[in-house]
Amino acid sequence: MKFKTEIGPYVKDENNTNKIMKKLLIALSPIIAFGLFKNIIMVYYYTGESLLSLLNPLYIIIVGVLTSLITEYLYIRFILKNNHKETLKALSTSYAIIPGLLLALVLPINTPIWIVFFGAFCATLIGKMLFGGFGKNIFNPALIGYLLIGAAYSSKLGSYLNIYEFDTIGGATPLANLASLDYISSYNNIVGNYGNLLNFFTGTIPGMIGEVSKVLIILAFIFLTITKTIKWRIPVFYVSTVFIITFLIGYTFDLGIWYPLFHILSGGLLFGAVFMTTDPVTSPITNIGQIFYGICLGILTVLLRFLTSYPEGVMTSILFMNLLVFLFDKIGIYFKYKIKRIYIPILISIALITSTYYIINNALNNKEENKNTNIINTEKLSNKTIYTVTSKGWNLITAEVTVENKKITDINVTNNDGETKWNDIENANYLDKLITNQNKIDTLDGISGCTYTVDGLKNIIKVVMEEVK
Amino acid sequence: MMIKGIKLDGKKEVSISNEIVDFSDPNEVYIPLINNGVLCECVTNEGRKIRKGTVIGIRKDIDFPILSPVSGTVVGIADGLYLNNKDVSCVVIKNDKKEKLVEKKLIEDITSYSKEGFIDVLKKCAVTGMGGSDFPTFIKYKNDVEILIVNAVECEPYITSDLMLVKLKAEIILEAIDAIMKINGIKKCFIAYKKHNKIISNSFMKYINNYENMYLAPVNDLYPMGWERSIIKSVLKLDYDRFPSEIGVVVNNVSTIFAIYKALKFQRAITKRIVTISGENFSEPVNVLAKVGTDFSTIIRKIGSYVDKKNIRIISGGPMMGFALKNDSVIVTNNLNSVVVLYPEDDEINECISCGKCINICPSNLCPVFIMKNEGNKDKLIKLHPEYCCECGLCSYICPSKIKVREYVKEAKKEVKK
Repeated sequence: MKFKTEIGPYVKDENNTNKIMKKLLIALSPIIAFGLFKNIIMVYYYTGESLLSLLNPLYIIIVGVLTSLITEYLYIRFILKNNHKETLKALSTSYAIIPGLLLALVLPINTPIWIVFFGAFCATLIGKMLFGGFGKNIFNPALIGYLLIGAAYSSKLGSYLNIYEFDTIGGATPLANLASLDYISSYNNIVGNYGNLLNFFTGTIPGMIGEVSKVLIILAFIFLTITKTIKWRIPVFYVSTVFIITFLIGYTFDLGIWYPLFHILSGGLLFGAVFMTTDPVTSPITNIGQIFYGICLGILTVLLRFLTSYPEGVMTSILFMNLLVFLFDKIGIYFKYKIKRIYIPILISIALITSTYYIINNALNNKEENKNTNIINTEKLSNKTIYTVTSKGWNLITAEVTVENKKITDINVTNNDGETKWNDIENANYLDKLITNQNKIDTLDGISGCTYTVDGLKNIIKVVMEEVK
Repeated sequence: MMIKGIKLDGKKEVSISNEIVDFSDPNEVYIPLINNGVLCECVTNEGRKIRKGTVIGIRKDIDFPILSPVSGTVVGIADGLYLNNKDVSCVVIKNDKKEKLVEKKLIEDITSYSKEGFIDVLKKCAVTGMGGSDFPTFIKYKNDVEILIVNAVECEPYITSDLMLVKLKAEIILEAIDAIMKINGIKKCFIAYKKHNKIISNSFMKYINNYENMYLAPVNDLYPMGWERSIIKSVLKLDYDRFPSEIGVVVNNVSTIFAIYKALKFQRAITKRIVTISGENFSEPVNVLAKVGTDFSTIIRKIGSYVDKKNIRIISGGPMMGFALKNDSVIVTNNLNSVVVLYPEDDEINECISCGKCINICPSNLCPVFIMKNEGNKDKLIKLHPEYCCECGLCSYICPSKIKVREYVKEAKKEVKK
């Protein structure tokens, strides 16, 4: 008789890391299938191009998966010096194909194969193995690949449109289009180019292989949440935060509910939220940490979308926040043991969300204001230039601004009808003050009762200064 | 108040069907010199004739006796396998099977004790927690007690020893509870049991209306509902910091109540207890009535056999909190409620994927994964409060990487106490 001792417990949950990975792949497979169907079969059906010439998306996925798998095999086998059997065993529980697969799904469908190879190789080697392998990496490996591709080869990525879309739609991605419209415009300008919001939802718009079908991503999220496979709090709070902020902005500018929905259904937000932020290794472990992490991701994404030249924002946000995961867990642990102080993170979240809204709102308002200030004539003389500028005060202000050596030397207001308190402006020698303070115009005090006129004048100076630069 | 836990497959029916088999007549008994994890001193010697109830060991720090369960001759001191899978030195007694008592007593009215007398008799009769802790029961009654909770939850899979005791001795148990309440001025008593357990509710239902302020308290079928803190949360909707005595509550296992009855009525210790032997790898799952001190392997040989004789996992206690033993010669003690025989299944341990499942399941609301990651770092461990761990094992149970998370928390517990 042989008695086997071992530390308990002796009954165990049936779930294991292998099953988690399988569930993840089950959730991803309809998304992959749709991406291939839309970019290969549909295009074949509509254009009649030969099937073989349309297979690039399939190659991207296969190369991504194989590159990651082989890179990890070679690393464990030869650099960590394990034998073949041990290596295969290690690979079976280390989610080896995931970095390459996720990377492939966020790339444009015309990406050259060698770039995919480069990205997946870097994802596994730099993003995962060099950190000490599975379980020890700080950054989401797929995003490391994405980042390096962006840094090294962004110009060579190729179009995100398939041939059929190229013929029918063309142009920028919905988010790049939004940025070029300065973020606020009509439904027709923002959504209309690509169909309607339902097209965004079902994925019948141009986009990256895995990102377009939002309905499949949402179904995958539900499946993964019910089977307790992912940290559902992160995507829920991430997407909700984006929704709330963009809803407030839309509301402020009299845009409908379509505006926040457009933000959620565009680009890689849902895909990133469901599949990238929930990578167990690189996300907070505590519940409150996860909630807070989701909210901060949402804020960062919105800030990047509205204030920088990165119209997408999702992948960058996730990579950056990966770096701070330890901090969110510290917060999470703190509040787990001090459950009575839970109102503090709630208040902080509300404060963060509202201040983000105000920052963006301000930025958008400034842009709107500048739009109302226009240079209508430029007259170049030998050593100076005279700009004729109109701006909105109480009514319409017109002024001729003289610039010498890139400096404003004179302002001659030709139209001030409707500026009822113009006397106050003259009494304060405000035009001279504008000239002396032309480089720090925002810090110049106004005159009480003349706010609109002063703002109009200041905008004239700003526009001219920008023009001169 | 949220009570965390998980529904486990009870597998109780396996051992419930048959009657109790009597094995209370061993030739030799081994009495481990240990109480609640503290080693005790031997106060007898080889060749001495002793009676049932003779003091053979003493726990020095609280002057707590260890009594002989049989009459006979002390053969010597030898190592025996205690239920925690460690060898503990035992007094070995040859049983003369005459059951001669130190002193024969019968108290007619068991409610007639004073509180001091009650505490004295519990101590003299060495009453300890029979649910597994072996904690001296008299200590729990030193403070003022307002509410008594009788624990008949038995939340670990396979075990049915408490259930069998209730089935057979419900009337006596209620009589003992009534006496404990009157002696200690306890206002209310709740008998906690799993709500679908009809055997327990029906057994008590027959008699409970004869008593005042005694209530049946069905609780959810969750593991670890039998843990003091969970029971109190569930029944009273109350929480406490370290000990239930802070809020005037005592929780006793139903078997302990039966031991208290013996102490009050006959002023002697229990010398037998019901032990469940069950599990897929044992041919005849059953409850046995075993003499304290019996080498359990002699019982196993008599009633059945292992299904797979080559690979055996034999566990003292339940499969969640029990210990896998190095052989089957475990000594029957007051706190051994079951022996479970399973097929060994050892999962491969993988890297932690930081999924956080252990945090969400922990009934003590701890962060097991962070306790594990800060192994050996006392300053950080103190902030993570491992001392609240009830060692239920759910963190290890749920871990998809099959990491023995509980062992890290147990280690941290020791580290923090240093």
